[in-house]
Amino acid sequence: MRSGYVEGGNMAADGDTLAEPRELWGTRLGFILAAAGSAIGLGNIWRYPYVVYDNGGGAFLIPYFIAIATAAVPVLILEYSLGHKYRHAAPFAFRRVRRSAEWLGWFQIGISLIIMTYYIVIIGWVLSYFYYSFGTRWGDDPNAFFFGSYLGTTDSFWSVGGVQWKVLLSVAVAWALTYLILRRGVRRGIELAAKILIPALVLMILAIVIRGLTLPGAAAGLDVLLTPDFGALLDAQVWVAAYGQVFFSFSIGFAVMIVYASYLPRRSDLSNSAVIVGMGNSGFEFLAALGVFSVLGFLAAQQGVGVTEVVESGVGLAFVAFPQIINEMPGLNSLFGALFFGALLFAGLTSAVSIMECAVAGVREKFRLSRAAAINVTCGITALISIVYVTRGGLYYLDVVDRFVNNFGLIFAGLAEVILIAWIARQLGPLQAHINRDSYLRVGWWWTVSLMVITPVLLSVMAAINIYQEITHRYEDYPLSGLLVMGWGIVLVTLLLAFVLQRLRRREELPESIGD
Amino acid sequence: MDTGAVIMLLVGVFGLWGTLTASVWNFLRRSAADVRDGTGES
Repeated sequence: MRSGYVEGGNMAADGDTLAEPRELWGTRLGFILAAAGSAIGLGNIWRYPYVVYDNGGGAFLIPYFIAIATAAVPVLILEYSLGHKYRHAAPFAFRRVRRSAEWLGWFQIGISLIIMTYYIVIIGWVLSYFYYSFGTRWGDDPNAFFFGSYLGTTDSFWSVGGVQWKVLLSVAVAWALTYLILRRGVRRGIELAAKILIPALVLMILAIVIRGLTLPGAAAGLDVLLTPDFGALLDAQVWVAAYGQVFFSFSIGFAVMIVYASYLPRRSDLSNSAVIVGMGNSGFEFLAALGVFSVLGFLAAQQGVGVTEVVESGVGLAFVAFPQIINEMPGLNSLFGALFFGALLFAGLTSAVSIMECAVAGVREKFRLSRAAAINVTCGITALISIVYVTRGGLYYLDVVDRFVNNFGLIFAGLAEVILIAWIARQLGPLQAHINRDSYLRVGWWWTVSLMVITPVLLSVMAAINIYQEITHRYEDYPLSGLLVMGWGIVLVTLLLAFVLQRLRRREELPESIGD
Repeated sequence: MDTGAVIMLLVGVFGLWGTLTASVWNFLRRSAADVRDGTGES
């Protein structure tokens, strides 16, 4: 194994002076695992299975495969090439493409940080439930335990209700873990964590799947998940769901993959790495879906109801349905609980680290800060904001922010990215040449068509559908003031701040790369 | 299990994990070639 992977000279001894050369991944495997760790998150385990079930069952795999080939992998390759060619975090990478486009990088980082403010709180819940698994401490009524005893959720949106201290404690631990990994640097922190956590995560999910498949009722659960309804393929919503799933699941439009690729050595195979990361992510979520629906089948059998009556997704699946399943297990309940929440923890932690790294690198380049200072500033501000979700009304705010950031912020970030590169700056040709210089899989016409036509059209359709639904149906009957402040307001303020950041220090020349 | 579900299970397994296996195989071949040429990591 090659050691001392740094560019531009020897690594500074203390590792955080401005003159420090930029750090690189220690190995290509390390990069692939870290990128896979970023893509594989909580959504792979608690969102994907429900999306498959809700959109034609097994038939969903057809639009899903097409979406992977025509949107997710092409955009992933695009982001790798942007980071690798320009060797900067997203703001300066976009500025190298077009001077006036730096705001897009800041907008992507802003959206990522907003996601981080609540994502870390969910990791905190997962940490608590990992502990509660030992002895199934949620009792006989996991629903009442989660929303009542644990979160203490208030009965109306604007009833903040004060801080839930036990949630705050676990969120502080989650922040500490993220901070420690980031402070150890790219190679000794992020890469090492990925090399340990990702194989462990796959083993844990495999154990859950094997246990799930041996439980009574598992076959009924898999039937509900996979029995194809090919008629659903005529429904445009199913195709939009497939493109939405792969777009959110691949960590694209987050600014993460740009900065991760900027840490690759100058001669790197980008396209095959993107296929490995993409298919690793999709293969993992398919495996997780088999595990989730086999145990949901078991839960339905134990309760004497149909599988469709116990199907859940998101928070309800993880913190209500799974504790019920763990309660019903014939043996080793605590071990199964620790495996499930341990898997969620590892998946969440590697994604959280990647989200913070894209912001740390961007802030560090812009303000010429040391890595340590950039980590302290970004983690400090984001941690303070995350306290909003630790209040008793936090679940409402989390729900609204998550919906608006995903449905509008991320889609707009991705759409602006492909339009900028493909249509405004017309950079697909130079980037294609850059990718093909060292890549085993050469990108050609399919890549260009995907990025010039398919991805922008699909993202525009998704944006239009989401805006129409938002205007015609008030989400969850939350008060309009709540949706305006926590939803539209946060997305628009992030956009405004992105333009403000672009104007700061705009006359300064770009560094060759971080720290040069 | 329902026959359709079994077929889609096989489609998922071979489609996703098959492509992953092929790309990992490419990665290993490329790494081995780089090591032979002295241009890559061991």
